[in-house]
Amino acid sequence: MQVLKAQGLSKIYGAKGGIAYHALDQIDLSVDKGEFVGIMGPSGSGKTTLLNLLATIDKPTSGTLEIGGTDPVRLSERDIALFRRRELGFVFQDFNLLDTLPIKENIILPLVLEGAKPAVIEQKLRPVAELLGIEGILNKRTYEVSGGQKQRAAIARAIIHEPSLLLADELTGNLDSKSAKDVMNALRDLNERLSATVLLVTHDPFSASYCKRVVFIKDGRLFSEIRRGVNRQAFFQQILDALSVLGGNFDDVPFARA
Amino acid sequence: MTFRSLALSNVRGNWRAYSAFLLSSIFSVLIFYLYAAFLFHPDVRSGEIRGAAQVKQGMLACEFLIMIFSFFFVLYSNSAFMKTRKKEFGLFTLFGMTRGQIRKMVLYEGAFIAAVSIAAGIGLGMLFSKLFFLALGMLLGSGETIPFAVPQIALWVTIAGFFALFMTITALTLLRVGRSQIVELLREARKPKPEPRLSVAAALAGFLTLAGGYALALTMNTMTFLVLSIPVIGLTVVGTYFLFSQGSVAVLRLLMRRRRFYYNRTHMLTVSQLVYKMKDNARLLFVISVMSAVVLSASGTVYVFQKLQKEQIVEHTPYAVGFVERGANAHQVVDPAEVERILQSDGLRITREQKLTGLLGENLVSVGSAADSGSVDEKDRMKAMIVSERDYNREAQILGRKKADVAGSEAALILPYKEMESFSPLKIGDIRFTLGGKTVALKLASQMGGAIASPVSYASYMLVVDDALYETLRASAPPQSTLVSYGYDWANWEHSEATVDKIDAAIDPAYERQAQTYRVPSYASGQQSIALTLFIGLFISLLFFVAMGSLIYFKLFTELQDDQTQFKALARIGMTAAEIRRIVVTQVGLVFLLPCLVGSVHALIAIQALGNLLHSQILKYAAVVFGIYIVMQAAYFAVTCATYLRSIRKGGRTATE
Repeated sequence: MQVLKAQGLSKIYGAKGGIAYHALDQIDLSVDKGEFVGIMGPSGSGKTTLLNLLATIDKPTSGTLEIGGTDPVRLSERDIALFRRRELGFVFQDFNLLDTLPIKENIILPLVLEGAKPAVIEQKLRPVAELLGIEGILNKRTYEVSGGQKQRAAIARAIIHEPSLLLADELTGNLDSKSAKDVMNALRDLNERLSATVLLVTHDPFSASYCKRVVFIKDGRLFSEIRRGVNRQAFFQQILDALSVLGGNFDDVPFARA
Repeated sequence: MTFRSLALSNVRGNWRAYSAFLLSSIFSVLIFYLYAAFLFHPDVRSGEIRGAAQVKQGMLACEFLIMIFSFFFVLYSNSAFMKTRKKEFGLFTLFGMTRGQIRKMVLYEGAFIAAVSIAAGIGLGMLFSKLFFLALGMLLGSGETIPFAVPQIALWVTIAGFFALFMTITALTLLRVGRSQIVELLREARKPKPEPRLSVAAALAGFLTLAGGYALALTMNTMTFLVLSIPVIGLTVVGTYFLFSQGSVAVLRLLMRRRRFYYNRTHMLTVSQLVYKMKDNARLLFVISVMSAVVLSASGTVYVFQKLQKEQIVEHTPYAVGFVERGANAHQVVDPAEVERILQSDGLRITREQKLTGLLGENLVSVGSAADSGSVDEKDRMKAMIVSERDYNREAQILGRKKADVAGSEAALILPYKEMESFSPLKIGDIRFTLGGKTVALKLASQMGGAIASPVSYASYMLVVDDALYETLRASAPPQSTLVSYGYDWANWEHSEATVDKIDAAIDPAYERQAQTYRVPSYASGQQSIALTLFIGLFISLLFFVAMGSLIYFKLFTELQDDQTQFKALARIGMTAAEIRRIVVTQVGLVFLLPCLVGSVHALIAIQALGNLLHSQILKYAAVVFGIYIVMQAAYFAVTCATYLRSIRKGGRTATE
C-alpha cells in the first residue's frame, strides 16, 4: 500500500519579473507502508524544500501530492494543520521540545490536542516509551536530559498518535556519534517492529545507512536511488560511492562514523 | 554607517518593544507639560485667574509625582530592556566593539529616545493645552477663559527635567553594561528556565495574610481605624506578593493534577506556560496590582465623596431654604410670601413647602445629669421645638423618614443629624424642660437622628410628644412660645445660587441665625473642589494606567522571541491557528487582567471599609470607577493581544519559508 505518492512535484521561487529559481523540478516519489526511505543530496539540492512540501507546510507550484490517500494541497489552512497532526509525525534536528513541559507531556502532546482520554493516553505512552528506552526520564525536564534522550523523546512524540508517515529532518545533526547511533537504532526498531513508515532527510551517510532505500537528489531533480542489501556496513560504503558520483558540497558532514 | 545611525537603527529594529515604552514616556511628558503650562501661565502667575490658587498646590504635587513615577518607570523599562539585549551586546563585543563604544552606542540610543519623547510630548501638550485650559477654566467657574500660551519657563522646565531624567537613567544603565564575559552574554538568551519552585507553606501564608487583611478591613470601625489601618495595608501588600509569586503557581499546579482538565486539548500548553509566565512576572504583576489598588481606591474615594456630598447635604438640610419664626404669625426673619415671590420670579418650581408649628421648650436636661445639677450658661442651655406626633409623622412621611411612636407622657428626641445618634446630649429616661417659664417633666423613650425641618436655632432639636399631651401644653403656653418652621425645596436647586443669594438678602440680618440657606452654596463649592480634584487626578490616574499597561506589553514582547519559536514548532506538528490563538488569548489575558482584577478587589474592599466607616452604601458609586478602569484595561489588552498574535504569526511564517 502506498503511503506517499508524489508526481511531478515542482517548486519555483522568484518574484514577478525576477529570475525564477527552480528549487524542485518534476520530482516523482512514492513510499510504501513500512518503508524506511532516506533522501540525500548536497547543500542546496532541494532536500529541505521537498521535506517542507511533504510536511505540508509549503505548497508545490505544480504536481500532485497524496499522503495516506489525501491530497493536502486541497485542504483549508485549518484542515492542513489537523491533517499534519493526525497523519504525520515530525522529528527535527533541534528537537523542538517545549521547555515548559516535562518529557512525558511533550510526548503525549499530540494525543492531548486531539482530546484523547487520560486513560488512553497513559496506555499508549507506555509501549512507546519502552521501545525507545526513555521510561526512566519521563518526569524529567528537557534541560535535565541528554541530546540523544531528547531526540528519542521527540521520536516518541512523533509516533505516539500512530501517523501514517514519520518525517525526520537531519535528526542526528545535533548529536554526538554515540547518541546518533542510539537514535538511529531506535528509529530502525520502530520501523521493523511497528512497521512505521519513515522518511528521513539527511546529508549524513551514517544515518542514511540505516534506511532500506536511499534516494539522491541534485539541483532539484531525482538523481539516483540505491537499495540496501543485508549488510549495513556495505550499504554505508555504497552511499559514500554514490555521493562521490553526485558531487557537490558535503564538507560540513562528519564522515568518520560507522 | 556612523555610530549614530547604528544607534538609530537599533531603536528602529526594536521598535515593537520600544513603542509602548515610548508611548508612556510621551504621555508622561505630555501631562507634565500641561500642568507646567498652567502653573507658569502668565495670567496665573500674575493672579489674574481667580481660583487658580486652589489648584496650584495640587498640581505642583502632581508634577513631582509624575517625575518620581517616570523615573522608576523608565528605570525599570530600561533595565529590563537591556537584559533582553544581552545577546546583541555579546555579538557586538564579539565583532570587536570595545566597551567604550558600546557605552557610546547606548548613550546615543538613550539620547534619541529622550529627544523623541520630549519633542512629541511637548508637541502634543501644546496641541491639547487649549482644551485643558478650557476645561479647567470651566471647572474653576470664574467665567474667565484662560488664553492659549506657551510659557517659556514651562517649556524649559519640561525639557530640562525629562532630559536629565532620561540621561541619569541611561548613565545608570551604562554602569551595568559590559561587565560580563562574552560567552555569558551570548548564552544568556538560551539558558533554559528551571521549573518554578513551589512552597506550599508560602502559598498558604499568602492566602491567609490576604484573607486576614480583608477581614480586618471589613470589620474596621471608627474606633479601631487608626490602630488597624496600617496592619491592614501591610497584610494586603504582603499577601498580594505571595499571591502572585506562590499562590498563582500553587493554583496552576492544582490544575495540573486534575488530569481530566489538564489533559484536555490546549489546556496542557496554556497552563504549563502560564506557570512560567506568572512566576517570571510575579514582581511586576504584584507592583501593578498594588498600584492599581492605590489609584483605584483614591479615585474611587474622590468619586464617592462627590456622590455622598449630595446625599449627605440633602439629609442634613431637608429643605433648600428654611427658617424658624417665634410667634404664630411673626415674620421677623423673612416673609414667606417674599421667598415665594423670589422663587417664582426666578422661574423655579417649588416641589415641597413646609409650615410646621410647634412650641419652644427651653432648659432641656436629663434628670440627674451633670447639666441638671450644675449651672450652665444661658446660651448653652439646650432648646428644642416640641411638636405633636401627628405633625411630626406627617412631615416625616413627606421626607420618607421613619415615623415616631410615643404615648402618654413619653417623648422622642429628634437629633439634627444621623451621625449624632451616639453623641446625644440627653439620656433615655426622665427629662425636664421649661415651657413659658413652667417646668414640664417627661420621660424620654427614644431618640433618632435626622431633622425633618431645617435644623437651625430653636428647631435644631425636636421633641415629639403625644397629640393629647401637645394640646395640653399648647393651651397653657404663652404666644411667644409658639414656633413655626418654614421650608422650601425646589426643582433644580443644585444650580440656583443666584436665587439663594436674593433670599439671603431678603432675610433680616438680626435674625439670620434662625435661617438656613447654606445648602445650595456649600453644595456648589463642594462639587467644584471635588470636580477639580477629579480633573487633575484624572490625568495622573491615566498616566498610571498607560504606564502599567505598557509595562505588561513590554514584558510580553520581550518574551515574544521564545514564544515565537515555540509556536512555530507547535504549528509544524499540526497545531491550528485557532488553537494557538486560544492559548495566546488566555495567557495574555490572564497576565493583563489578573493584576487589574486583584487591584480592583483590593480597592473594592477598601471602599467597602470606607463605606462601613461612613455608614453608607457607596459600593455602587465606586463600581462606576472600577468599571471604567476594567474597560480601559480590556481595550489595552485587546490591542496588545492583536499585535502579539500578529507578531507570532509573522514569526511563524518567516520561519517556515
